[in-house]
Amino acid sequence: MTVFWQQLITVPTTDPDDSRRRSLLNIVLFTFATLAVIGIVLLLLRTRVLTGASSEELFAFYGYVIFLVLAAGLYFVNRNWSGTVASLTLVMLLSVLLAFVDDPREIADGRSLVVFAIPVVLASVLLPAYLSFIVAAVCSVVITVVALSLPNVSPNTFAMVVYFAIAVVSWLSGRGLEQALREVRGLNNELEKRVQDRTRDLREALFREQTEARKNHTILQSIADGVIVFDELGRASVANPAVNGLLERPESRILGATIDQLMDTVAAENQVEVKELFSPTAVQSVPLNVEWGGRTLSLSVAPLQAGQAGVGGTVAVFRDVTREAEVSRMKSIIVAMVSHELRTPLNAVQGLAEVLQQGVYGRLADKQQVTIDRIIINTKRLMSLVRDLLDQAQIEAGTLKIESVLFSPSELVDAVREVVGGLAKDKGLQFLVTIDEALPSTLVGDPQRLGQILINLTNNAIKFTETGSVSIRLYQFDLVHWAMEVADTGPGIPISAEAYIYDAFRQIDSSGSRRHGGIGLGLSIVKRLVTVMEGDIKLSSRLGRGSTFTVLLPLVHPGPHLLT
Amino acid sequence: MERPLAIIVEDDPDLSTVFAEAVQAAGFASETIYNGTAALKRLEGTAPRLLVLDLHLPGVTGDRILDFVNEQPHLAGVQVIVASADDRSAQALYGKASLVLLKPISFIQLRDLAGRFITNEG
Repeated sequence: MTVFWQQLITVPTTDPDDSRRRSLLNIVLFTFATLAVIGIVLLLLRTRVLTGASSEELFAFYGYVIFLVLAAGLYFVNRNWSGTVASLTLVMLLSVLLAFVDDPREIADGRSLVVFAIPVVLASVLLPAYLSFIVAAVCSVVITVVALSLPNVSPNTFAMVVYFAIAVVSWLSGRGLEQALREVRGLNNELEKRVQDRTRDLREALFREQTEARKNHTILQSIADGVIVFDELGRASVANPAVNGLLERPESRILGATIDQLMDTVAAENQVEVKELFSPTAVQSVPLNVEWGGRTLSLSVAPLQAGQAGVGGTVAVFRDVTREAEVSRMKSIIVAMVSHELRTPLNAVQGLAEVLQQGVYGRLADKQQVTIDRIIINTKRLMSLVRDLLDQAQIEAGTLKIESVLFSPSELVDAVREVVGGLAKDKGLQFLVTIDEALPSTLVGDPQRLGQILINLTNNAIKFTETGSVSIRLYQFDLVHWAMEVADTGPGIPISAEAYIYDAFRQIDSSGSRRHGGIGLGLSIVKRLVTVMEGDIKLSSRLGRGSTFTVLLPLVHPGPHLLT
Repeated sequence: MERPLAIIVEDDPDLSTVFAEAVQAAGFASETIYNGTAALKRLEGTAPRLLVLDLHLPGVTGDRILDFVNEQPHLAGVQVIVASADDRSAQALYGKASLVLLKPISFIQLRDLAGRFITNEG
């Protein structure tokens, strides 16, 4: 019913003001038509269907009918053609009608002036503001002319002023209403635009997020590395397809499982290491290689940033390094084999030369003695190169082991002196060895590796120093460290070189390699050994004055377990 | 006075010459065996004062010979110097042998170390 009424009333147009005014006109027309119908019905009842009607009643009856027809006509015009024309016609008809209903005198003396307010008020509601102003102005002029032109009648000035006031107020209110509606519409439009903008932004953001999520999902699904996300309770909440293959179990047996439950094919001692990686206090950031079933997996674990996505927990990434581990094992074996095969004949050369040198087969002539000495020195150099290569291979393979035994610092430097003392003497360098009295006479460490460090540093010092001295000093550095210092009076090391002197296969002046011998492994090995021993190496150098390498090592107090 | 016996078990003939010369220089009479199987057989009937033992041997390996020496009562007084090129397998033997030397082993080093055992009866 309401919908039907709405359809009857509304006139769809593009101009919202026009549409509003035309709807209002329709309501006014329907009101008038209803009033006319009521009038007709009442007349028919009173005059028994016009049989006893007076001429006045007949006049009224036709008046009502004409009014009804006019209302229908105006409704038609309003709906199909122009609201302004229909409204203007209605207002004019009303004005004319009112003018004829009353005697001009009655207008002039003010009695029916108020009636004239009806078309003016209607105009302010039904017509655009400028037209309602024109209607009000025209009516005012007509009334003024009528009032002033009649003889013998004094115009009712007060009523006229009231009428003008009504006209002005009507026009102003019509205009005000129009303006207010325009502003409301403006606000509405702006609001609507904002809503649209916001909707578009949201849609785009949602789309971006979905794209991102899809992308992440695709990456997770297609990468070769296995990924498992564990929630705060340590249960697997996300697992990608790759991890199923790596752990050799279906997704259903991964999701919901803890890391303990996933480790049934891992050796017990490795399980401990893996669990440590998962503990909240884990500091290890390097991946851990674990034998997992038939594979070697490299496992890295990182905490999920809580707060960012509102989730805590950890993410574990599994990478299949079975082949790499196999290659590395093979490399270690090959290096060990090669070094064994190299060492045995070298050892024979050195040993046989020493047999001659020591006069086992008779005393040697002076030149023979010197020659044999040279053979032995060069064999030792070759031997130390082989050892450096083996060490480097072991460092790279991570198989270098450091001992912790009791040793005497003086025996340590004696062994070093035996190897390098001759070299210093050959070059005419002063070779000084000092052990501070404050240093304990027994220390804990790996004497063989410590000797290697000293030999490498001293060898370098002798190699690069042409005149002056090379000195070794052992002393207690502070309460928890002791130090080995190797100082020379050589050319010094430029500051720019300090960054890479510990790199493998590198010498400061690569053209010098030939002159000084060596393949640039010495300092690299020293650095790695010192690091494995949890020590530190420092360099202080002045160009043209010499260099001093200081190796700081933790002072371990010999416990009873070491006194064997 | 008869020189005490030192048996050298080393498959490399040149190196075994060096070892033999070293123990002789230290005062031992030396005998060289080039493979593990022969060494085991020889040790069944003889208890030398000193055994210089290479680990990488054809036939029976050095660590099995070392175990044999440690198990047999008649070999209880034998001093064993292990000569190894591989420091990892050498480390596993500390405590089982009198000395574990890592190759390269110099003539002088072995002569001086073997010399310690010439007078030491235990």
